[in-house]
Amino acid sequence: MALIEFENVSKWFTEAGVTVHAVENFNLSINEGEFVCIVGASGCGKSTLLNMVAGFIKPSSGRILLEGEPITKIDPRCGMIFQNYALFPWKTVLGNVEFGLKMKKMPKKQRRELAREYIQMVGLTGFENHYPSELSGGMCQRVTIARALANDPKILLMDEPFAALDAMTRQVMQEELLRIVHDRNKTTLFITHSIDEALILADRIVIMSARPGRVKQDLVIDLPRPRHVSDQLTQDYLDYKNTIWESVQEEVMQNMLFAERKLA
Amino acid sequence: MSVDLETAKLTAEIPTTRAEIAAEPLEQKMRRQRNRVISIISVIVFVAVWEAVGRFGLVSPIFLPTPSMIYQEGVMLYEQGIIQADILASTRRVLIGFGISALLAIPLGLLMGTSDVLKAIFDPILSIIRPLPALSWIPLSMLWLGIGETQKYAIVFMGSFAPLLVYVIDAVRRVDPLIIKAAKNLGAGRLQVLKEVILPGALPHILSGLKVVLAVAWTCIISAEMVGASQGLGFRIWNAKSWNNTPQVLLGMVGISVTVLTIDVLFKTVEKRLIPWERSRR
Ligand SMILES: Nc1ncnc2c1ncn2[C@@H]1O[C@H](COP(=O)(O)OP(=O)(O)O)[C@@H](O)[C@H]1O
Ligand SMILES: [Mg+2]
Repeated sequence: MALIEFENVSKWFTEAGVTVHAVENFNLSINEGEFVCIVGASGCGKSTLLNMVAGFIKPSSGRILLEGEPITKIDPRCGMIFQNYALFPWKTVLGNVEFGLKMKKMPKKQRRELAREYIQMVGLTGFENHYPSELSGGMCQRVTIARALANDPKILLMDEPFAALDAMTRQVMQEELLRIVHDRNKTTLFITHSIDEALILADRIVIMSARPGRVKQDLVIDLPRPRHVSDQLTQDYLDYKNTIWESVQEEVMQNMLFAERKLA
Repeated sequence: MSVDLETAKLTAEIPTTRAEIAAEPLEQKMRRQRNRVISIISVIVFVAVWEAVGRFGLVSPIFLPTPSMIYQEGVMLYEQGIIQADILASTRRVLIGFGISALLAIPLGLLMGTSDVLKAIFDPILSIIRPLPALSWIPLSMLWLGIGETQKYAIVFMGSFAPLLVYVIDAVRRVDPLIIKAAKNLGAGRLQVLKEVILPGALPHILSGLKVVLAVAWTCIISAEMVGASQGLGFRIWNAKSWNNTPQVLLGMVGISVTVLTIDVLFKTVEKRLIPWERSRR
């Protein structure tokens, strides 16, 4: 049984009488332990998809199954990692990381201990008592990762989590994420618009069509791990990149034509 | 290699640690000291000019008594224990009336800010009460409660409750919805969201609201004391005016100013403790 199953999921928004079809008949299943990247042009419904998995919004039709049961509300089994961190500014690093455990009413001593473990895992030991406003973007993103993992979710949902970071930090974070995810054997659904990022991270890459978003292509990425920047020069890598690029480009073009037609 | 890069990154990544904030550059420190000296000189010059204006007969002391006359009046009232009793009476009235107001407005505001139904129930009432100046409650409160202490608390309460409630509701609405989503995603229930996210998230704005409304509370009490009281700074000023004792009028005004300033400073200390995470942003 798949961990997550999208069954004919559609989502449309109606605003001021205008209906936008963000996602249409989306079908995908994600198995336990997989690292799946979704790539697609901006505005094709990637965030909408992820927000439906987290339970923040409901599908207009179709359903999403988590461990065989449809998702009907915000579910802590789906740990969301936000691009803008969404840390609690009034809590220290430790307070943020232990939040989920506190909500579960875990005794203070036990949850502190566990939180420290996760803080160490993301390399922030020594910063336990700092507030988010005292940290850089990369460090904040580490805190959100630790916060989500400490809550032991079934699946990690990440919506372009590293897009706001500088190139150096991003690369470090990608490597760290892979190490952690493989360590803990976590299933991950990761959204990005960077093909290189997807190729470094993913077991599978799902390319979405232009809006309304559908699965255009579902590619198994059979590149050896661990993957390094130097691997980006291998023929296999370049082949994958070309395939994906052409596929995405078609959709971007279609998007632009659509916009032009609308303007005309 | 990745580990080295990592440590280098972490150390380079911290732009504003607490240590850095504490170690203020020397130049800035000197500028601050210089400004403080200027401020002190400014006060001295102001008082001296005022004194001179009276001494040289430019303005009659009946209209504007000199600082030394106010000082003498102050010493006299102090020795009789009058001014202390007035300050205490006014302060107590403000703090009790305002305290009750805050105790009710904060929970109610949290609920109204998070529940559309509760907001729909209370909003019409609030919008009728809100435009009323606190002073317009004085006649009614005197009819109901006489001129005792209860009436004073009631005036402060009536004057501060509605604006405070509006501040709290606004503060709640300003809490970042993304953070609320994050909390729910981590397993927080309704009550936990209220206690763990909305209350602390709204706290900075609630506190600045409290500060603004505290000044309103002072206006209320001074006016109420002028209309009907036998003690308090408002009464002292009004009483002195009836006796044409201008130095005492001014003394009462200085008393108000100093008391409000002192409470403001105390409030800021409490504020710093309640919202330590804002430390590095201010
Ligand atoms: N809450 C909403 N209300 C109305 N339209 C929305 C809403 N959320 C997303 N959309 C629209 O749905 C489409 C897909 O958005 P989104 O999922 O954010 O795309 P992506 O993340 O792939 O860039 C966009 O056209 C966007 O304008
Ligand atoms: Mg998006």
